[in-house]
Amino acid sequence: MRVLVAEDDPDIQVILRMVLTRMGKCEVTFTDQGDQVVPMAKSGSPMLILLDMMLPQMSGMEICQALKNDPATQSIPVIFLTARTQPTEMQEGLRLGAVGYLAKPFDPMTLIAQINDIVSPLGVTLGTSA
Amino acid sequence: MKNLTIGFEQILHSTLSMARNSLKTDLCVFLQFDDGERLCVRAADGKKAHLWKGKAFPLESGPVAECLENKVVRVSKKSKTGLLALLESKSAAKSTFILVPVSGQSRTLGILVCGPFSAATAKSIPEDQLRNTGALCAVLTAHWRLYEWLSSFTPQVNHELRTPLTAVQGSLGMVLGGMYGQVGGEMREMLEMAQKGCERTVLAIEEYLTKQLPNKKSEFSEQQSDKINAKDLRVPPPPKKP
Repeated sequence: MRVLVAEDDPDIQVILRMVLTRMGKCEVTFTDQGDQVVPMAKSGSPMLILLDMMLPQMSGMEICQALKNDPATQSIPVIFLTARTQPTEMQEGLRLGAVGYLAKPFDPMTLIAQINDIVSPLGVTLGTSA
Repeated sequence: MKNLTIGFEQILHSTLSMARNSLKTDLCVFLQFDDGERLCVRAADGKKAHLWKGKAFPLESGPVAECLENKVVRVSKKSKTGLLALLESKSAAKSTFILVPVSGQSRTLGILVCGPFSAATAKSIPEDQLRNTGALCAVLTAHWRLYEWLSSFTPQVNHELRTPLTAVQGSLGMVLGGMYGQVGGEMREMLEMAQKGCERTVLAIEEYLTKQLPNKKSEFSEQQSDKINAKDLRVPPPPKKP
């Protein structure tokens, strides 16, 4: 299971890498540049994208819109994982096609369960070796 | 907060509407300095839509400069320079506009423009009445500035606090969750204390910075000024006399 994570904070990258690889049994690819997300999604074909809202070069909203407008990436589920927690931003993120919105700070021990709650209905489940 | 935005707009517009009715004139406009120190239409009440073609008004010498020196100015449109050219009226009998400076505690925020009046009426309007209307605009403008500041400051602080807390809470959670082996005894107590501190901080952020965040940014922008220019000044013509 491949997961693409767009996150520019190196400390949070470390935590997400640990959680996603150890508990989520995922192969994780990171980028800290907003404009790299769409090309990496196209080339890497991840099963899930975790997207920060505040990224250099492109905002999370712009990235989400670009992913959903591109036939090659529009079917990949996108979850915002962000410290931007205004209700309007959450609504806008979902309107642009994200399947979920998780706020920072998150509990690393329940993050996989929270992600699965969102993506299981779409046939994606983290934490299995498949 | 969205309601606050709408409420502010309504109050400002109502203030100008009341001022216009009270002064028995056609037009009452509040020109406010924007962040680029340009004088733009902030709110208006009246029927002179065709007058407002430009986005910003020149701050040339003359009546505008004179008004900004903190005096109520009564000016005849006959001189037709700068702002007055934009206030051109079809009515020859009513040819005078009044410009009132709108001042905050430390700076001039804009100008209130009312008119046109006949020269005699313009002279008879008490300065206090004009200054009070200007003062009300100043209070509303200060309120609006505070709202603008809050709407950009609080989301930023919210974000800047949550990001490092993610690293702190995340690493504590993983250690306490046993990802690096069992933790027990006094070490566990200490780590749990740190984790509780994090949780309390998150609750405080939720309470003071997330729940009370303004929902949208200021609407005082070029787009909004255009909207006011094009639309809000357009009111139905007066009924024809039988």
